[in-house]
Amino acid sequence: MSETVLSIEGLTAGYDQSPVIRDINIEVRAGEVIALLGANGAGKTTTLRAISGMVHPMEGRIVFLGEDLEKVSISARARKGIAHVPESRGVFFGLTVAEHFRLGHRTEKLDVEAAYRYFPALAELKNRRCGLLSGGEQQMLAVGRALARHPKLLLLDEMSLGLAPLIVERLLPVVRQYAVDSGCGVLLVEQHVQLALDTADRGYVLSHGQIVMQDDAAKLRENRELLLASYFGEHASEVAGGDASPSAAGPGGAVSS
Amino acid sequence: MREILLFALLGLGSGALIAGIAVAIVLMYRGSGIINLATGGISMLSGYCFWSLREGEIASMGTVPALLVTLVFTLLVGVAMELVAFRPLRNAAPLAKLVASLGVLLIAQASMLLAFGSTQKPQPSILPSDVVTIFDVNVPVDRFILVGIIIAITIGLVALYRYTRFGLATRAASENEVSALLAGLSANQLSMVNTVLAALVAGSIGVLAASVTQLDTVSLPLQVVPALAAALLARLTSFAIACAAGIGIGIINSLIDYLSTQSWWPTDHGVPMPGTKELLAFLIIVAAMFLRGARLPSRGELVEQRLPEVPKATKILQPAIILTIVCAVALVVLPYDFRQALINSMIGTVMALSLVVITGFVGQISVVQLALAGVAGFTVSHMAVDFGIEFPLAPIIGAAVAVLFGAAIGVSALRVRGVSLAVVTLGAAVAISNFGFVNRTWGGGDTGSPVPQPEIFGIDLGTEAGFRGIDGNLPSPVFGWMVLVVTVLLCMFVASLRRGSFGQRMLAVRSNERASAAAAIDVRHVKLVAFSVSAFIAGVAGTLYAYNFGSVSADRFGPVTALALIAFAYAGGITLVSGAIFAGLISTQALLPHMLDKWLGIEGNWFLLFGGVILIFTLLQHPEGVAGAFYKSREQRRARRAAAAPPAPPAASSGRPVATVGVDS
Repeated sequence: MSETVLSIEGLTAGYDQSPVIRDINIEVRAGEVIALLGANGAGKTTTLRAISGMVHPMEGRIVFLGEDLEKVSISARARKGIAHVPESRGVFFGLTVAEHFRLGHRTEKLDVEAAYRYFPALAELKNRRCGLLSGGEQQMLAVGRALARHPKLLLLDEMSLGLAPLIVERLLPVVRQYAVDSGCGVLLVEQHVQLALDTADRGYVLSHGQIVMQDDAAKLRENRELLLASYFGEHASEVAGGDASPSAAGPGGAVSS
Repeated sequence: MREILLFALLGLGSGALIAGIAVAIVLMYRGSGIINLATGGISMLSGYCFWSLREGEIASMGTVPALLVTLVFTLLVGVAMELVAFRPLRNAAPLAKLVASLGVLLIAQASMLLAFGSTQKPQPSILPSDVVTIFDVNVPVDRFILVGIIIAITIGLVALYRYTRFGLATRAASENEVSALLAGLSANQLSMVNTVLAALVAGSIGVLAASVTQLDTVSLPLQVVPALAAALLARLTSFAIACAAGIGIGIINSLIDYLSTQSWWPTDHGVPMPGTKELLAFLIIVAAMFLRGARLPSRGELVEQRLPEVPKATKILQPAIILTIVCAVALVVLPYDFRQALINSMIGTVMALSLVVITGFVGQISVVQLALAGVAGFTVSHMAVDFGIEFPLAPIIGAAVAVLFGAAIGVSALRVRGVSLAVVTLGAAVAISNFGFVNRTWGGGDTGSPVPQPEIFGIDLGTEAGFRGIDGNLPSPVFGWMVLVVTVLLCMFVASLRRGSFGQRMLAVRSNERASAAAAIDVRHVKLVAFSVSAFIAGVAGTLYAYNFGSVSADRFGPVTALALIAFAYAGGITLVSGAIFAGLISTQALLPHMLDKWLGIEGNWFLLFGGVILIFTLLQHPEGVAGAFYKSREQRRARRAAAAPPAPPAASSGRPVATVGVDS
């Protein structure tokens, strides 16, 4: 088995003292693509934000390449090899495409060639300002820039947001290919469940801040009923439980493998 | 024609000064998203540093070593400013950042006043004093050198931002800080380097421009107003435009100097109309806002910026009655100096109340409130002097005129908001003060304008009324009582305003204008009414000031005092009536400074210095101000008590009360 890039142990995090995700355990190994699935408000984005340091954990640990990240700042995490492409894409409208690849911290040299190799379309847009690119091109730039940094862990948040499914269908295989080529671990949040599972090795399903299901992507694909139930069914079971208290055991806890 | 050329060329000097400060403002804004009102203050600090090292105040160094030490000093000032005031506020609301820069300005001014006094200092000029002849006009060569230096600095900065990794990173971070952090850039480092660069630019121009400005604690700091005009024309983004606009403003100012020597130029008692340059700077700011778009470029921030909480007053009448009785007795019992300080505190409270309404409730940062008070004060004076209209009609007219001005500013605030509004109102405050109050016809000139005693039905209500309290000295407690009644009524009015439905609409507008418009709240109406109400309160404070001192003068309502007032109001708690009372107690010449002066021998300038320090400390520790901090700790105590001794049924699950506390705190 390959090396563990990221392991999240018992993570609870949220905003203003109210937890959004509770007691989460996730593991990402080198070269693996992991899909993080779940309905709106399940806590997928918060999980990614906690990994990149934008949200502070209330409990639990985030271990990246054997190092506890608790005291590490956002930019230091980025420098250690975590590349987070947020929903807003994290590109700079005022900078040209080429400038995006010059933009790095002091010791860093971005691998422009790699980015243009994975996304040949970008090479033709070199001198265009990012603000003038289409949504899909911006997303390519965001992912391309992340790849050019040779990250050990790539976090992709809702690449499909505002894009035609066709473009996402083109982007995801590139990500897959990159993970295979470089041994980078990928954790990807995606609304298009089918697309995500076609790409991923394994998947986790988040519901109301807890992991209710985790399995190989293939099994999740087959087990569509269960997947749907974990997406939508937990509300019913919660009402049945008769307790809105968040500390109650996850409604789908029994389902998780 | 020759003269026009001469004056245009002479204007290059002050133009370079304005351009230098404008470029520093832009640099600072791009580096850390702060509009630094203290930029001129940094120029002043460096100017003083160089002067004191050169002219024997501290040392008698040669030009070069003194210059080097000054640059090191400026660098340290920049580092200190960034570390102490700006870095901890990285994720704070824009108002807090602006107020922090205000705190820096206050500290800079107060420390220089304390160190070197208020007299103007002869700044030695570094640049050669030769004269060159161009088209038959003799122009001092240092004007050209100054402009050359500032253009060179600008070109250097443009190149730095365009071609270096650092410049690229700053551009990225100024567009979206979160993305920059995720890209592995350290926003703190970038901001530090930019702040230090800005300090160096502002500092060196402060030393070099010795021949075109005076070295005192007001001239250089206030150059920030025309510089802001130039920086806004550049949308706080382009160094080249900021530089060109700054030089342009300097040239236009110099041409105004020339034109004002002409016979057709409007005069005021034989001297050219004062304050036209300040009026021009204000008009440029307004024009820049309209032409270049009211929104300044914003940054993607990590944390959503919350404004301080606005708690509802639970009881109004009871504290009002207690306060009235205590103050009414104190006014009789206290010795005359403390009586005067108490009256000053109450007037300061009223002044702060106007800020509570406009800034605390509606979130509009207005620097012009004290100038509105001045408008009312001068109206009262001129009503009496020019038209023979006295109390009680004169103060009513005064407040009404203040409301008119306030509403006019409210109309402009329909388009301009946030930090931009602060800049516009700062320009307005400077323009009103210099164009209005200094004018001898409709202002007070250098000496001030007299105000007669208030009198109704033959009863003297003024400071010189017959009843003189226990020690028999001026001012009369009768005047104090009148001020007390007005203060208490206005406090109750503001507290009930917050409780009523209009108060809730104001808070809705404060938190999100679009959302409240969507919820069928008439945002224009709310803003206009709020501006009028706060202008009315400021106007009342202005008339009280006028009667308190028996005269009105421009310096009492000047922009520097206005900035200090905002500092005090913010430290007291800008969202609370009790905060306004606290602000009144610590404001200039009020009870607390008076006590410190009398008992501990700490004079006013020390208090101003403390004011700046306390302000920054408050911003970092208790963004809701002293009163807000009190309120919070009281609420927490209550919640804890409720949780500790629950009258709840015994069967209540053990987890519940703890959870309640967790949610409330």
